[in-house]
Amino acid sequence: MSVIIKTTINGKKVTASAEPSTSLLEFLRDTLEMKGTKLCCNTGECGACTVIFNGMPINSCVTVAADADGAEITTIEGLADGDNLHAVQQAFIDTGAVQCGYCTPGYIISVKALLDRTTKPTAEDIEEAVSGNICRCTGYAKIIDAIHLAANRIAGRA
Amino acid sequence: MAKAEFTVVGTSPARMGGVERVVGKGVYGIDVMLKDQLHGGILRSQYAHAKIVSIDTSEAKALPGVHAVVTAADAPDVRYGRSYLDRYILARNKVRYMGDPVAAVAAETPALVKQALKKIKVLYAPLPVVIDPETTMKPEAPTLHEDMPLPKNLPEGIKVKNVCGFTSVHVGDPEKAMAEADVVVEEAYETKMIHPQYLEPRMTAAQIEPNGRVTVWANAQAPFPVRQEVAKTLGIPLNNVRVISAELGGGFGGKGSGITSGAAIEPICALLAMKAKRPVMIVLDKAEETISTTIRAGAKLYIKTGVKKDGTIVARTGKVVYDAGAYSGFGTQAGARCTNMLGGWYLMPNCHIDGYVVYTNKQVCGPVRGPGGPQAAFAVESHMDSIAAKLGMDPAEFRVKNLPKAGDKIVGVPKLRDVSLGETIRIAKEKIGWGKVKLEKNQGIGMATGSWIESAGPGGGAVVKINEDGSATVHIGKIDMGTIPGFGIPLIVAEELGIPVSDVTVLNVDTDASPWDAGTVGSRGILVSGTACRLAAIDARTQIFKMAASQLEASPDDLEIKDKQIRVRGTPAKSVSLSTIATAAHNIIGEVIGRGYCDNVALMAEEKAHGSSQPFTTHACIVEVDPDTGNVKILKYVAVHDIGFPIHRAAVEGQIEGAAAMSIGQALCEQVVFDNDGRTMNPSFVDYLMPTINMTPRIETTLVPGYPGAGPYGAKGAGEIACVPPLACIANAIFNATGVRVRKLPLSPENVLRALREAGK
Amino acid sequence: MEYFAPKSVSEALSLLERHGGQAKVIAGGTDVMVDIKYKEEPGCLVNIKAISGLSGIKENNGGLHIGPLTTIREIETSALVRDKLPVLWEAAHQFASLQIRNTATIGGNICRASPSGETLPPLLVLEAKGNLAFADKESREAFTSFFSGPGKTSLGAKGLLTGIEIPYPAAGSRGVYLKHAVRGAMDIAMVGVAVLITPDAAKNNVQDVRIGLGAVAPTPIRAAKTEALLRGKPLTPALLKQAAAMAASEASPIDDQRSSAEYRRWIVEALTRRGLAQTWKAATGKEVA
Repeated sequence: MSVIIKTTINGKKVTASAEPSTSLLEFLRDTLEMKGTKLCCNTGECGACTVIFNGMPINSCVTVAADADGAEITTIEGLADGDNLHAVQQAFIDTGAVQCGYCTPGYIISVKALLDRTTKPTAEDIEEAVSGNICRCTGYAKIIDAIHLAANRIAGRA
Repeated sequence: MAKAEFTVVGTSPARMGGVERVVGKGVYGIDVMLKDQLHGGILRSQYAHAKIVSIDTSEAKALPGVHAVVTAADAPDVRYGRSYLDRYILARNKVRYMGDPVAAVAAETPALVKQALKKIKVLYAPLPVVIDPETTMKPEAPTLHEDMPLPKNLPEGIKVKNVCGFTSVHVGDPEKAMAEADVVVEEAYETKMIHPQYLEPRMTAAQIEPNGRVTVWANAQAPFPVRQEVAKTLGIPLNNVRVISAELGGGFGGKGSGITSGAAIEPICALLAMKAKRPVMIVLDKAEETISTTIRAGAKLYIKTGVKKDGTIVARTGKVVYDAGAYSGFGTQAGARCTNMLGGWYLMPNCHIDGYVVYTNKQVCGPVRGPGGPQAAFAVESHMDSIAAKLGMDPAEFRVKNLPKAGDKIVGVPKLRDVSLGETIRIAKEKIGWGKVKLEKNQGIGMATGSWIESAGPGGGAVVKINEDGSATVHIGKIDMGTIPGFGIPLIVAEELGIPVSDVTVLNVDTDASPWDAGTVGSRGILVSGTACRLAAIDARTQIFKMAASQLEASPDDLEIKDKQIRVRGTPAKSVSLSTIATAAHNIIGEVIGRGYCDNVALMAEEKAHGSSQPFTTHACIVEVDPDTGNVKILKYVAVHDIGFPIHRAAVEGQIEGAAAMSIGQALCEQVVFDNDGRTMNPSFVDYLMPTINMTPRIETTLVPGYPGAGPYGAKGAGEIACVPPLACIANAIFNATGVRVRKLPLSPENVLRALREAGK
Repeated sequence: MEYFAPKSVSEALSLLERHGGQAKVIAGGTDVMVDIKYKEEPGCLVNIKAISGLSGIKENNGGLHIGPLTTIREIETSALVRDKLPVLWEAAHQFASLQIRNTATIGGNICRASPSGETLPPLLVLEAKGNLAFADKESREAFTSFFSGPGKTSLGAKGLLTGIEIPYPAAGSRGVYLKHAVRGAMDIAMVGVAVLITPDAAKNNVQDVRIGLGAVAPTPIRAAKTEALLRGKPLTPALLKQAAAMAASEASPIDDQRSSAEYRRWIVEALTRRGLAQTWKAATGKEVA
């Protein structure tokens, strides 16, 4: 038995159906073939699957797809404005925060949500925003640099 | 290496492939989607050790939507393995760990795959399970591999069982020297199994082409070994197998040993595709990965060192018991490396270390980042501090006392050309504030050094093609997982050809087109592929200059390329565009194709004649220990590295920071936990604890110049070395803070508190 | 698997009545989705998020009423909770990751009845009560008796939690929630200790004390004997030490993949001692002496 999901993804209205047990992550990757949001732990422990859901960063792997009905969702594919990268995307490239890049979409989404809240994030704010995003490649140093660089650029300080 | 002015080499431009990654393009193996593909899944053993009595797949096969069910009976009776051919792609007669693949299914949906796997009936006759390698070594232990011989080089009279590798290191006369030592310290250290936990799950997809060839998509670090092993285990001619590697979401060596890495999912998937006559894709769940794919082995390390009163080391003896897991995998090699490294990288006039690599009913050892190194260094560098404490010497002073110099040998390296170790210690002391920083109660400071033997080894080639517009297309056999194809390689090729970095395209590995390579393993990226690419670009440049010389009426030796223009040095007006020559080549030599390779023989000869330069390092840290809970917080962490010349500086720092963080995870929170039946109790990220941003200190990296390595422009490999020191670095800081030596990993709150309590604190 | 999205409590209850043990209620989904993927798929999923009136935080008769569908993040960002029920706020603040807090609900955390549930020790020390609804009746029950085992509550297979009532602690009370973990908030609590102290008017004696322990018994528990030991007495170092040791003895932890039982007892002792000292200081301005 399928559920019909009428949702808005990156500003576009989408209607599709899925099995009730489908997670929002599976809905994005498999039903809609949007591969930008990443599959990793599938248990809500690593943040690779983070999307913005009605303005809040959430783990799409532990969200039932049916919940997307009537919701507004932003995925990594929705951040750039044509060829113009979002400040967070550009900052991740500029500081060398992208190694293998697998955690990158989830990270960028979490950081964008943070910088939408404040462009002067304290160390505590950063920790709160991205403690749920695991990176195995960078040791986090260049990611923290990217967050500060993006914040400064968005606020016009750089 | 003469100082030269570089155009791009030594800078940190944006990573090639960065844009795709930040906008979420599907560049990874897991993003592959084949037309008409079926989903595949694997049935794994219910027991850590058992005979397979029977397998009944009839009910599974009968399920509508199931297109293939395979067992060992469907594959040739061919074994695979690295040093020991001790494994089948699907278990035949016996299972030896709970991740052992027993059967596989291809079906229309993942739900159907799950259902079908449940319907496969396997009858097991359980056998006794052994999970501790010291127990498994004993003659009375159960036999894990009935027909595997013991290593030929085992000493006479040694009675052991289940040993699949033996290494012995002998220098001088350690027994005599030990007896004459003023002070002797003897300790035992233990490390635990770690899973590399790359974030991108392992996958594979297989498709039978119309002409019968098999195409395999794999997120493998070593596509060529995968090709060879798929062909061998399925009885297919090598040239009928094509392996295409995507870009990887991490690997760290865990995706790096051919089909052993994934417990044979590639040939299993190909087999399913052959039976189903449709493409099949398998994606492993992360929890499934933890129990089935290759790991960093745990080890028991016995170390005894004799020193003079003044701190001069005179002798070391030791024993390593290295846990290979259910199959030999990379265990033999990693165990050998660990055994060698237990001899340390200081002057060691007398030394005898024996290392045993032992089978157990657990996951299989792979070439995980610095295989054998962190384990050995945990023992060696903790032990150095224990000795210093006994002598009443400053730990840094004790290390400096035993530094080798240029021309000396150390265990595993017959001749050092130069030695940066002392300088890394000096700089680390400065950066951490050794002897200067004011420590509060429960705080401590520690250091640890490290090395990673870089020398001749498996090679690889490069091909650089110059396109009509002057851009370059590069073929190498190493993959991109945040490694050289995105960073150093484009810089090297751009540098030698005088073209912009953005004009260099490095292709994904396709075994049909790429030059053979052992894979992105062993910190050999920059040495092997970097050298090969540099030489290939120079070869291409030589061909270009030969053609341009006649047009410019100059000698090829007088030409240079800058900004895509070939011109006569000193007379910039005399020039011709690179694209003109590259196009003209069509009617002269066909195409400008440069070829290069890393000359292993020449490298070995150079090392023999002049010695080798090792990538020494020193890490130092300040920690705070909570005396009530045992929690350890790292307040400051510095990593000082000699990596020769950094071709892409941000990339090198990134490798160091990432590798250090990985070992910080091993130090503080990571381990695979088993029950007595050999069941993994923490397979998912809920309880396999990976270091999060809040507990990872900022790794402050310093690169030490002046000690060129064998790589291009004097580069040394940087991918693994930073994994080596952190375990002991943190343990030493804990010792400094509390006076208590923790010898068992992880340095988890429980292990630290227990050690504190046992010491009466 | 069937799927239902009832629009009212009665609709949800009649679904549960009909499907009983085959039905699984889903709110945020952070636990249930993992069950669906890795354990058995239930016969049907009952998504209660469409039911209005089950979310929100409001003042109610000297306490707070919190709807079960209120997310942990909403609790964390509520000035009312932070001000009036800081011990609950602290649990919300140390709850997994921001992503999880944005969808996980307090009702879900309660009904999951994990021995290590983050909000549970605070709810026990706050003497919070749950409003329970069944097809044939409604009831109110203190959470101190609500949990009967890991995953087992008074709701059984057919009940629904419709509200959480939390009275404000007595004036002058202070509390803390201490979570023991290896990494931090991301971990499931290895031990959780909630402490609430109400000093007497002179701030010399412990008028009332409540200690809640998580992850060290089949359910979250109150350390009743330890509380009895402390009530009415001045908090001296000797009494503090004795109380901490007694709390450790009231715990009945197990060995598991996260920790040994022995270690958990050590942590109960350490965190009870810390929690009492910290709370006493916050409530009286005095160090334990």
